Amino acid sequence: MPEINFTLDEQTGELEMKIAGVPGAQCADVAKLVTEILGEPERAENTQEFYVRANVKPQVQNRKG
Amino acid sequence: MSKYMTFTEIAFKDRALLVAALEEIGCIEIQQGNALPLGCYYSEQTPQTADVIVPRNTIGNAYGDIGFQRNEAGALTPIIDDLDRARVMGGRFIPQLRLAYHERVVQTVAARLRGTVHRTVEGGVIKLKVRY
Repeated sequence: MPEINFTLDEQTGELEMKIAGVPGAQCADVAKLVTEILGEPERAENTQEFYVRANVKPQVQNRKG
Repeated sequence: MSKYMTFTEIAFKDRALLVAALEEIGCIEIQQGNALPLGCYYSEQTPQTADVIVPRNTIGNAYGDIGFQRNEAGALTPIIDDLDRARVMGGRFIPQLRLAYHERVVQTVAARLRGTVHRTVEGGVIKLKVRY
């Protein structure tokens, strides 16, 4: 299930956000929605999960009849 | 796909959410408009304007109005006397406002995604998980 994890620091009120398990275009849409309300983040990066999934190559198996 | 973002700037992009957050932390008589004159304690201070104003002496701000003025990026940034910043809510005015604002942002995001919010608090950190 797609989820967005927000973390608020009680001392400073600063916000961190991590989007997880959301397919590519939808992830960008969610990030856009958040920045529409919050403004541009000071830092934004794709996490390791992004690169792992992006490097997966489709495998094709030959069927023997 | 996964993405990580941090928001550290003290700026509030959504005026309605900002006003709601101000009310939540106890601000009253909040004024809204465009380039409203900002009241100050010292007469020699440079006149300033703001789009959202918390009037002086309404939340312990003895040295002047607390204002929020749009910056170039379109977000509202606080204008607050240094002495008030240190005194109002025991020096916690800005952190409390940011917390209230950010919690409303999360609720807004969840509502737009038709999702649910699960809230936990662990050692000075509030965790809000939106599932949709």
